[in-house]
Amino acid sequence: MAVTTGRATKGKTQYGSPNHERRIWLFMRLSGLVMFITVLFHLLYMHMVVRVENITYDNIAERWSGPAGLFWRLFDASLLLIGMAHGMNGARFSINDYIHNKFLNLVLTGLVYGIGALVILAGALALIFGTGGLGRLFQ
Amino acid sequence: MSVLIETIYKSISYRGAEGQWAWILHRASGLGIVLFLYMHIISIFLASIGPGPYEWVHATLYTSPPAKVLEVFLLFGVLYHAVNGMRIIIIDFFPVLGKYQRTLVRIELALVVLVLIPAAIITLRGLF
Repeated sequence: MAVTTGRATKGKTQYGSPNHERRIWLFMRLSGLVMFITVLFHLLYMHMVVRVENITYDNIAERWSGPAGLFWRLFDASLLLIGMAHGMNGARFSINDYIHNKFLNLVLTGLVYGIGALVILAGALALIFGTGGLGRLFQ
Repeated sequence: MSVLIETIYKSISYRGAEGQWAWILHRASGLGIVLFLYMHIISIFLASIGPGPYEWVHATLYTSPPAKVLEVFLLFGVLYHAVNGMRIIIIDFFPVLGKYQRTLVRIELALVVLVLIPAAIITLRGLF
């Protein structure tokens, strides 16, 4: 596994704290450990037990309703935030490893984090307003 | 661009055997998962707009026959990334196990295939 320390720094400090990338390294391991349980449960439960064909609009509405629905929304929120943070950072590792052109590196990293921020916002809105919730707001 | 192609060519032709292949697969599966994740979250967002947009995406992007085949790649990608990630964590925190890393790669691949075969059969059985 690549542990990036930023692009060729030539003695300059790229980040505010010398421990910055070490903390990210630890975050990748801890989030990986958590997601080993939560993501594998989500994947195997949704694909093997519920099955993708049955994940209809009504199925999501039912899972997100009632007191148990609050639990599933919080569970999904943890998948959203931990998964996106781990995933966007992993994409940053790859970009830093392969794209050495400073401008292109900045553009691609910006795209990953910029689109990623919009995706997190979209996911959060869905979890907060629920199925059809945003549609009803604009009716 | 030529630097990128050279880097990719060298990381494939480097004869690091199991460890190198495990690393390439971890990177490829990770990038694949993150692309899927962006799509997956946006399609769930559509469900908060209304049944129409969500059901359309569900029928075309998730349950059509090509989607079912891609679903097996997703299952492999996530299973592999999860199990290989655990191997990375184990070797990072217990470096003494580094000398068994080739054996660990073989064990993890066996484990992934063992779960993937029944999972793929369950996923694809509707197609036949």
